[in-house]
Amino acid sequence: MNLDSMRTYAEGDTVDVVVVGTGAGGAPVIAKLAASGLSVVALEAGPNFRPEKFAFDETLADEIYWTDERLSGGSTPEAFGANNSGTGVGGSTLHWGAFVPRADARDLRLFTESGEGVDWPLEHAELVPYYERVEAFLGVSGPPTYPWDAGRRYPLPPVQRNGPADIMAGACDSRGIRWADAPAALVSREFQSEDGPLRHGCINCGFCHQGCRNGAKASMDVTYLPLAVAHGAEIRPECFVTGFERGADGRISAVIYSHGGRETRQRCRAVFLCAGAVETPRLLLHNDIANGSGQVGRNYMGHVATQVWGTFDHEVRMNRGYPSALITEDFIRAEGADFAGGYLIQSLGVVPLTFGNAVARGRGLWGKALTDYLGRYNHLAGIGINGETLPCDANVLTLSDEVDARGMRKAQIDFGYSTNEERLNAHATKVMRDLWEAAGAKDIWVLERVAHTIGTCRMGHDGDTAVVDPFGRSFEIDNLWISDGSTFPSSLAANPALTIMALALRSADRFLASGR
Amino acid sequence: MTGRPPDTLFCLHFLGGSTRSWEALGRTLDGTARLVPIDLPGFGAASGQSGYGINAMADAVTEAIVAAAPGPFRIAGHSMGAKVALALARRAEDGDDRLEGLSGLVLISGSPPSPEPIPEDRRAKMLAWIDADDETRAKEARAFVHANVAAKLPAEAEDRAVEDVLRAAPDAWKAWLNSGSTEDHCRRVGTLRMPALVLAGSEDADLGADAQAALTMPHLPNGRLVTVEGVAHLLPLEKPEELARLLRDSMSGSVEPNTFPIPADYDALIATDRVNSRLRETLRQRAEPDDPAYAPKAVDAVEFAILRAVFARVLPVPGLDVAARLDARLASGGGDGWRFVALPPDAEAYRAALRTLDAAARAAHERPFVALDEAGQDALLTLAQKGKLSVPDSLGGRLNADRMRFWFEDVRADAVRLYLAHPAALASIGFSGIGAGGDSPEPLAAGLPGFHSTGLDSPESWEPRSSESAR
Repeated sequence: MNLDSMRTYAEGDTVDVVVVGTGAGGAPVIAKLAASGLSVVALEAGPNFRPEKFAFDETLADEIYWTDERLSGGSTPEAFGANNSGTGVGGSTLHWGAFVPRADARDLRLFTESGEGVDWPLEHAELVPYYERVEAFLGVSGPPTYPWDAGRRYPLPPVQRNGPADIMAGACDSRGIRWADAPAALVSREFQSEDGPLRHGCINCGFCHQGCRNGAKASMDVTYLPLAVAHGAEIRPECFVTGFERGADGRISAVIYSHGGRETRQRCRAVFLCAGAVETPRLLLHNDIANGSGQVGRNYMGHVATQVWGTFDHEVRMNRGYPSALITEDFIRAEGADFAGGYLIQSLGVVPLTFGNAVARGRGLWGKALTDYLGRYNHLAGIGINGETLPCDANVLTLSDEVDARGMRKAQIDFGYSTNEERLNAHATKVMRDLWEAAGAKDIWVLERVAHTIGTCRMGHDGDTAVVDPFGRSFEIDNLWISDGSTFPSSLAANPALTIMALALRSADRFLASGR
Repeated sequence: MTGRPPDTLFCLHFLGGSTRSWEALGRTLDGTARLVPIDLPGFGAASGQSGYGINAMADAVTEAIVAAAPGPFRIAGHSMGAKVALALARRAEDGDDRLEGLSGLVLISGSPPSPEPIPEDRRAKMLAWIDADDETRAKEARAFVHANVAAKLPAEAEDRAVEDVLRAAPDAWKAWLNSGSTEDHCRRVGTLRMPALVLAGSEDADLGADAQAALTMPHLPNGRLVTVEGVAHLLPLEKPEELARLLRDSMSGSVEPNTFPIPADYDALIATDRVNSRLRETLRQRAEPDDPAYAPKAVDAVEFAILRAVFARVLPVPGLDVAARLDARLASGGGDGWRFVALPPDAEAYRAALRTLDAAARAAHERPFVALDEAGQDALLTLAQKGKLSVPDSLGGRLNADRMRFWFEDVRADAVRLYLAHPAALASIGFSGIGAGGDSPEPLAAGLPGFHSTGLDSPESWEPRSSESAR
């Protein structure tokens, strides 16, 4: 994004807030606080990309993924990098799929409902106005009415349905399952960002995960960050935060980061840590702070994100159009379920390398079987879920003894399904297979997959069992706030980014109201 | 290489040989090539000369070559002499101007750059008798010659060979067995571009065609491996006329450049303004042929040969050197942001896994992985995939069955990602995404074509078709 004329602060200045990370958790905070007249410096580990570089190619897009190595263990090791971890001004929203269902109210009261998982320390009703603000600001495209939430309205009409969406709609009809055009954070027609650029309507290129070339997708670099810069925030790319300076009172007085090989510090009155559910706990553990609860790194969650694939007589050409153009929330609570929580289903079109990677790893094909199958690319379509994962003691992020090039210990993430995830997965797999059979798919297969990075700095009412309070404020260091997916006490069935943004605005409001 | 090979051939003998080992060949060639046999330090007329290590021997040979002022020349190395020849070839390709004229190698039952696989009991026995009494020495020297030929030599030739063995300085003999043969020059020799004729005897116990394929050929992308039937380890003594015939043949083993061509219609699409400039340039770069003599950086030459064999099974696409592309990526240190905690860092995991796979082949079939047929290779890879490929440490296993399973998952993913990055692969699947948008001067591009049609069975007229549906 264009940072040429932004306001800048000197190292000697003490700014009101330093925000670490410019993705879905950080950007709304930066914008809100700057717009409220605070001096804000945002430190982003990655570069500042120009959309001109986004080139409709998966390998060239490697630069927008977080490729510092993480170690994946546990019984279902999760892939990072292109699967869920971004870098650059805008963070993971640069490669984000922009699929933005709201959390279902029941998912925030899961323990009360089922005796499993946890309740969130806030009411769904508190989130709704924030959801509406975010959706309006981003320009979310969606159906005129949402079958699972009668009152919900989306600001823009839905994006064009693609081949996999058409197939899924037909299959759902034949099985009596409700469906809708997906709520997508991309503009289906030209849209003027508030204090930001004119964004062009989606051209159905299919490369959402490789960086949007025309601003249709609501990545932070075309939405909240231009707004932030317009209100005087400074965004510093290529600044990797390694530590904090603290005063005698324990409060953070400066953030230490490396830029161009040089260690630098920015003095500040408060910090928002928004580095995501892996780098946020890693930084806290590395500095051994804010962890009196012993909860930092605990209850790591990835969504159950199993997919079912099939071959069709139709020429599907699944690379065309918004990749996940259809949704059903009928299984957020499935009839006769033997598990807590639920899942949503989306249609899937996937670009070749991502698909080939899944086939090679997940289906285990190699040799001629592999190249023959890839040759059917234009006749393939998939559906996939995003399903609840419960917090679990065994799923934990720790620091490995192995260090990165900076000498910081690498994050090791152990993750595995428990009974609830296995039952949910079995249910969903059966439903998806049945749908694809109904649609006439041949050669159906199941891709086991884990998505997103959630948990590790849970919010709660009590500093003995949680890292931050229900607004994201550290129980121990009162000028440290966390705003990202790490604070989620449970995963929710919904994809996380919209909820991260809604919580970010809520945290910012609280921060402003608290008099700091 | 085309045309006649150069006339001068420096000849480096086997352990216990000498310049005399090449006399029969010289008679057979009858002046059609200039043979310059050299006694290596400790052998033949140089039995009083010291300096028995590979590099010391190479130094001595270099001096002899300079003294002969040869112009263009080749080096023939037999067994021990081959390891010295490979060291010299490395020096020549690194720009040693004293070896500037070196234009090819002839390696006969060569000892490879890697430690030579000599069975321990044989090594021990050979070390023992060389210092024994004269009678034992005479008996064992003759037994040594017998053990290394397929059919008995003519009496006079055999006597002269035995005499040569007995002439050798015992210290030189022992130095080869104890250290020269075990020196590891694999990394140092690396990948040589010069042409090479690699000869193996069909009856050779340890350095036959399999060993040459696994340990020597990986260093010689322009090498040609020929098995000579009815010969054990001493080809120049056993069948000099056959060796002469092979030398007269063209030595060219140069491989055709790899090509994985982009079909014309896809190439034309790449040229249109539907494809942005950065992508067009990138696709063209990816379509450049791979260098057949690619020198691996992250793995060594021997491991690289196994890697190529693995990818030939995992991704059987002629003309695309996935191994070279992967090695370059590993060497660049660029990763994908994660790895299985069970595995060591990527390059290390690849090296350990390739060695384990090779050890599995040797344990199961007494052959290196690269020498197995396709079914044999597939069977081992299938075991790896199932988490059942287990090789004890004592037999060279470095990764356990679980780790081999994780590694083989990474292999498949690495292969498919490198494959589908290539425009010819995108063409073969009929991928139209590259044409969704061209260049725009605007930061947020206006007016890119994208797709108007996104539903089923509605290709836009310009969209490519897969090679499958085109058939």
